[in-house]
Amino acid sequence: MKFCVCIKQVPDVQSTVQTGRMVLNAYDASAVEEALVINSDSTDEIDLILVGPASATETIRKALAMGANNAFHLVVEESSQLDSFAVAHLLAGFLKGRTYDVILTGKQAQDSDAGLVGGMLAELLKLPFATNAVGMTALAGGLQVKRQGDTGQEILILPIPCLVTCSNDMNNPRIPSLKGIMGAKRTTIATETGTPGNNRTQVSRVFPPAARVPGIKLSGEPGELVAQLLSKLQSEAGVL
Amino acid sequence: MSSILVVLSVQDGRIKRSSLEGLSRAVFVSKKLQWDVSVAIFHGDAPSFVEEAGQYGAKTAYCVSNPIFNSHLNTPWITGLSKVIELAKPRLVVVASTESTKDILGAVAIRSQAAVLSDVATFDVATFDVAGDIVVCERPIMAAKMMAATQSKEPLVIVSLRSGSYEAVKTTETSAEINIVAVPFDFDSGTLTATLKEIVRSTGETVDLSEAKIVVAAGRGVKDAAGKALIDELASITGAAVGASRAVVESGLFPATAQIGQTGKVVSPELYFAVGISGAIQHVAGMSNSRVIVAINKDADAPIFDVATYGLVGDCFKILPILNAELKKILS
Amino acid sequence: MEEKFDAIIVGGGIAGLSAAMTLARGNAKFLLIERGAFCGAKNVSGGVLWGNDLAKLVPEYWKEEGGFERFINHRRLTFMDDQSAFSVDFKSNHFNEEPYAGVTVLRSIFDEWLAGKVQEAIEQSEHPEESFLATDILVEEVLLEGGKAVGIRAGEERFYADCVILAEGVNNLLTRQIGLEKAYVPVDYMAIGIKEVLKLDAARLEDRFQLRGRSGVTNEFVGYCSDGVEGGGFLYTNRDSISIGLVLSLKSLKNSEKTPYDVLNTFKSHPAVADMIEGSVAVEYSAHAVSTGDIRSLPSELYSNGVLIAGEAAHLLLNAGKAIQGMDFAMRSGILAAETVLEATKKSDFSTGMLKNYRTALEASYVMKDLRSFQGAVQLLHQPEMFGPIPNMICDFGRQFFTISGEPTPKASKMMHAAVKRHVSYWDLVKLGLKGAKSL
Ligand SMILES: Cc1cc2nc3c(=O)[nH]c(=O)nc-3n(C[C@H](O)[C@H](O)[C@H](O)COP(=O)(O)OP(=O)(O)OC[C@H]3O[C@@H](n4cnc5c(N)ncnc54)[C@H](O)[C@@H]3O)c2cc1C
Ligand SMILES: Cc1cc2nc3c(=O)[nH]c(=O)nc-3n(C[C@H](O)[C@H](O)[C@H](O)COP(=O)(O)OP(=O)(O)OC[C@H]3O[C@@H](n4cnc5c(N)ncnc54)[C@H](O)[C@@H]3O)c2cc1C
Ligand SMILES: Nc1ncnc2c1ncn2[C@@H]1O[C@H](COP(=O)(O)O)[C@@H](O)[C@H]1O
Repeated sequence: MKFCVCIKQVPDVQSTVQTGRMVLNAYDASAVEEALVINSDSTDEIDLILVGPASATETIRKALAMGANNAFHLVVEESSQLDSFAVAHLLAGFLKGRTYDVILTGKQAQDSDAGLVGGMLAELLKLPFATNAVGMTALAGGLQVKRQGDTGQEILILPIPCLVTCSNDMNNPRIPSLKGIMGAKRTTIATETGTPGNNRTQVSRVFPPAARVPGIKLSGEPGELVAQLLSKLQSEAGVL
Repeated sequence: MSSILVVLSVQDGRIKRSSLEGLSRAVFVSKKLQWDVSVAIFHGDAPSFVEEAGQYGAKTAYCVSNPIFNSHLNTPWITGLSKVIELAKPRLVVVASTESTKDILGAVAIRSQAAVLSDVATFDVATFDVAGDIVVCERPIMAAKMMAATQSKEPLVIVSLRSGSYEAVKTTETSAEINIVAVPFDFDSGTLTATLKEIVRSTGETVDLSEAKIVVAAGRGVKDAAGKALIDELASITGAAVGASRAVVESGLFPATAQIGQTGKVVSPELYFAVGISGAIQHVAGMSNSRVIVAINKDADAPIFDVATYGLVGDCFKILPILNAELKKILS
Repeated sequence: MEEKFDAIIVGGGIAGLSAAMTLARGNAKFLLIERGAFCGAKNVSGGVLWGNDLAKLVPEYWKEEGGFERFINHRRLTFMDDQSAFSVDFKSNHFNEEPYAGVTVLRSIFDEWLAGKVQEAIEQSEHPEESFLATDILVEEVLLEGGKAVGIRAGEERFYADCVILAEGVNNLLTRQIGLEKAYVPVDYMAIGIKEVLKLDAARLEDRFQLRGRSGVTNEFVGYCSDGVEGGGFLYTNRDSISIGLVLSLKSLKNSEKTPYDVLNTFKSHPAVADMIEGSVAVEYSAHAVSTGDIRSLPSELYSNGVLIAGEAAHLLLNAGKAIQGMDFAMRSGILAAETVLEATKKSDFSTGMLKNYRTALEASYVMKDLRSFQGAVQLLHQPEMFGPIPNMICDFGRQFFTISGEPTPKASKMMHAAVKRHVSYWDLVKLGLKGAKSL
């Protein structure tokens, strides 16, 4: 099956010190991994597409190093703040002229936590889709997708072509091998200039969340700890 | 007159509390604007939920009755909701942020030419003389490390609201009858592009996690079946729902529906027990709005203690048996 | 067989990246392998990078936004007892000129910035597609053929080169694998460094420490800061954070039965320190082994057949009390190792005789010269008097000297005499004084 995986570069939310370091969105890494696993005994290729500033090439290389074959980079200005709507339109414009069996996106971007591009893109391309996938198997002419729903897992059959958004609970993305890293460096990334349309939402301010009232830490014998906790829960916190 | 349309999610034959929270907020916001509030219900027997919607202040109910809505499938939902939006012409659509609504928001936005503000913690409508009204919200970003004040000026905006962001309050007004609009919906299943093969429900869930007043969550420190038994016991004594970190979902000890955090669910109970959970930001993203947080961890430097109201430094295998026994005495 | 490199560098810390930069500039084909998810991910330093090699590697680095935190134009050495702090303080406009003699760095930012510069140098070299920086990969073995190092193994992958530069830092497992160092390093030669990064709004920080533009301050501490354990403390200003930490003798720490964390908390709660860090929030805590700088801890040789060892993998570090010099030594040794490789490539001669030039160059540089000439100071720092009685005595003197009490004030010499009597014996002081005078 021919796959196209949409990947995004995001700030490293894990780092404690603000390093400004950018990484591959973890959910997208899972999407790349799943495409690699499903395609492991096929000669079909896996393409990557990223919308982002020129400096995002390193992130594309990281995903290429995992084993994807080709990459496209829609370059937008460093300063452009695109919302999911604008990104979905750019991606749709790029994908319209091309044929893929399966388009994969992450279930959400780790920075915006929006979770919208997948569904928007599917609707723009008129493709059947499933979101929040935690499992995927290839069928003849179709794809079986296990999605995590509210009360359990929903098992769906999608015809091809289709679009799936991936959860990181799907797999553990591989760490690129030395050979992969070397190969990725020699792959030419096809670059085009992206001309974004309008956003439908605007971020006016970013600020730290209200701090929680500082709590207390108790240590000692288990029995003592429990006694102290229960008295606090009842008298001070008024729960129980 | 402009209006707010609230989509009521029905799960296990009940309106989800988070939908009622959204409805209450919508009623509050609409009051100062003198807007109308209507609800949309998608269910095999949609009218049976109308009365309750009225108690929370809805004036109109769009009932889309079709058994296809009894289990989740995105295609009919997208069609159905787009149709109701076309009929009701709301300014603002409010849905509860659940896995089912996350599944359809993007597609509905494109089809109905709406802007979406997803997974918001607050929302409001600000009115300006020149600019008209703007939908404003605050939403957590970067695994809830930061908040983003976000807005949209589009004529139609959909917001999805995190559970526990507002209280669900019944209206005190004795108002006129709720107006019911039955929306005809014959879904030709032949046009279904995806088929639902089966739903594998996680077993043993007695209390809905995202609505629970008390949550007992387990992490890798809980280790094994013996640890899980202690967790289950604490949950059953306190009437709590059981949650989990990704580590123990991945290991198979707890079901994926129990996962709390950036990938999993968002909860905001009165009381949250974090047992053997280190407190990675992706986990904290899903529980930091709990009112009282009790953390049990043997590592005094674990980051979970930064958000805990009461942190107990110690071994959960030693603490839980005593805690369970004491709680049993108190609560029985 | 896979392509062969001129050199494989193990470790993307300061030493490895400095070697890589030198190789890229010299148009060599090389592979640098770092086990962290990115260069700097796992690295800990106080961290002031002294000396001017950085200006050689990245000319005019100070013109860039990225990279270092602040340059040092203000230095302070503080002796403390439990209540007081007596400081020697030096600030000079001479230090405002580029290239700076010292800059503070946060390794998770600095190392990756330097890696970016190396990447640029590779792209501008004659082999833009034949040299690589690879992260997230652990080198498990140096491959030997007939006693000569010919490459490395990472997992199932093997890569070959004319020589291997080991820049793996203080936990030098590969240096031990090839037998240049014994499997177990004596505990006397090891210390533990612990460090916290405390976030503080840049404007407040600049106000509090009287910083202008990108200037910064270093403060070293002796005495109560290590709570009776052999060692010392440091506090450095970054752009919008403070690095604070301790370097403690492993042996002495073990005997004290304290945890490094306890000692750090004691240090942080000292009134003089508490005032400096007030209102800041801890955002990072790390602990890392660090060499003591004892010259006897160096590997039996700094090169062998097909291998060069640079940076702290070779225990190249000097801590003579006024500063920790690990990063500058790592930088210089990495550069010298790479220059040796370039020469060897030019002459197609990777014999041990050729690699010996590395040792010769290092001996001729300030690295080995300073390491030898300041051994006395290193030994002096291990005297028990240095982290208790002496700082106590100095603070005692300070308290008398700066007190105006409404009583007749004794002469300073008398105060000194009283302070000495209370804390140390004259005989010890003379001994230490002589040692100190000789060692510095
Ligand atoms: C994109 C992304 C999304 C993610 N989404 C989520 C998410 O939704 N939810 C989530 O939870 N994680 C999520 N994670 C994973 C997250 O980063 C952590 O890896 C995970 O939360 C760790 O789970 P844990 O705290 O149970 O395990 P650990 O981090 O291993 O912590 C175990 C803790 O148990 C303590 N302990 C051990 N034994 C005992 C004992 N006997 N008594 C008491 N304490 C003990 C230890 O001190 C330790 O603090 C996500 C990660 C990524 C990259
Ligand atoms: C608390 C503390 C404070 C300090 N303060 C200062 C200071 O203020 N000024 C100063 O100059 N020095 C200071 N130092 C010392 C300084 O940090 C070190 O001397 C310096 O980092 C050594 O550089 P290096 O490149 O040799 O090693 P490192 O910086 O340790 O780099 C080694 C690299 O190799 C990698 N690596 C190791 N093994 C492998 C493998 N098998 N495969 C792949 N990669 C591997 C590691 O991940 C690491 O990135 C301090 C140290 C500590 C602990
Ligand atoms: N700039 C981008 N380039 C390519 N794909 C993207 C981009 N932004 C988002 N995506 C994809 O859309 C998914 C969801 O993003 P979001 O709707 O922003 O949460 C991501 O996981 C990616 O797969």
